[in-house]
Amino acid sequence: MKIKLIRTGGFIPITKMAEVEVNFTDKELVRLIEVIKPDPSAQRIKDGNYYQLNVGTSSTPVDLEKVPEEYNELFSKLKNSMKIVK
Amino acid sequence: MYKNHLNPIHCIIPPYMLSKLIESGNKKVADMAVNSKFRSYRFLSDRNFFRAASFYEKTILGAVPKKPAKSTMQMEVYDCRQTTDLTNATLLWDTKNKQRFNSIAGKNVIKGGKASWDFYRDLFGRNSIDNNGLLIKQYVHYDKGMDNAYWDGRRMVYGDGDGVVFTSFTSDIDVIGHELTHGVTENEANLDYENQTGALNESFSDIFGIMIKQRYNNQDVKKSNWLIGEKVLIGINYALRSLKAPGTGYRNHPELGDDPQPAIMDNYQDMPNTESGDWGGVHINSGIPNFAFYVSAFNIGGYSWEKTGRIWYAVLTDSNLAHDAKFVDVKNMTIQHAERLFGINSLEVKAVKQGWLEAKV
Repeated sequence: MKIKLIRTGGFIPITKMAEVEVNFTDKELVRLIEVIKPDPSAQRIKDGNYYQLNVGTSSTPVDLEKVPEEYNELFSKLKNSMKIVK
Repeated sequence: MYKNHLNPIHCIIPPYMLSKLIESGNKKVADMAVNSKFRSYRFLSDRNFFRAASFYEKTILGAVPKKPAKSTMQMEVYDCRQTTDLTNATLLWDTKNKQRFNSIAGKNVIKGGKASWDFYRDLFGRNSIDNNGLLIKQYVHYDKGMDNAYWDGRRMVYGDGDGVVFTSFTSDIDVIGHELTHGVTENEANLDYENQTGALNESFSDIFGIMIKQRYNNQDVKKSNWLIGEKVLIGINYALRSLKAPGTGYRNHPELGDDPQPAIMDNYQDMPNTESGDWGGVHINSGIPNFAFYVSAFNIGGYSWEKTGRIWYAVLTDSNLAHDAKFVDVKNMTIQHAERLFGINSLEVKAVKQGWLEAKV
């Protein structure tokens, strides 16, 4: 399956995006999304960036600080390869 | 002596009641009442003495209050070493030790942080972000090539930029002043970060950010180019925003396209109040109050911080500025404060009214 990482927000609000093919099982994906779900009570960071993960047609906000160690490399690569959406 | 204040009889009982208590026939009550009456007379006598005493006499008796401690900037700068780990960032510099280091970004934030701190202290007597001497914490080299800067409620964090579209977000003093002002706003009206109110929050940061830069560079309203982040966005013709002409910070940028900020209320953009909708366009619609400020400042003339800045600061710190204020509320409050500060028929009031009129608010 393809996962797409999208970044929004910031000092000037721009959208950046990167996608990658992964071999997650459905169960693994559900578990990962559950773990990296952002805290809904978190304060809005002034000029902060926000990330969302798109899989197929579904989209979910994620907190990259919560990414488990075994997925660090994958998400680092995704983040580093993000391009501005024109 | 303060111990007696624990006994209610010694506090606020008027003399006629004390006299009645003395004559009550209850020895314990009478003792306390006499004691209280005696202390009251001594207190009155002491007060009369100190009212008439000279400064020298008061000094001898140790009755001269100590001067409040002079406000001094407290700052720490940390190096995140291109990680997102703020807890384990390395201390680069602090105001106590003034360590030597090589990071340009670190030097930039010390310069910008000091210019911002001085601005608020020198012009408005404000003692740091919270007006109570808060330690300013700044984190540089956050993440790999992060093209952003932010205030997280406790500290300012800056990325190095991707080196292609953006350089370090510490490169412009106005960006540093912008972030620090988010802290000031949070400690004052704490404006909600959404829709029109969020745009006001952003606008206050831009307005104070530009004034901090203008003051640092000794630029009056005519000399300033009114651009925010002109070094941060790479390219001689580009800046992150323009207060003079919102929507022209960058045009035909190969990556970013055109600056989307409106200057007038007719072009206000209704955007979703979500992360991807910039919380209702807080960085977009801030162009409108920014433009109102620019027109006001330009018409008042001179240095923006001397008069126009005083008006906007008075609004920002006015307890009547609601956490959910709208553009029209800030419009009315800037006019009220201009009238209070400079007179109802003053040039300054006319200029502020003209500013909001041109922004069509």
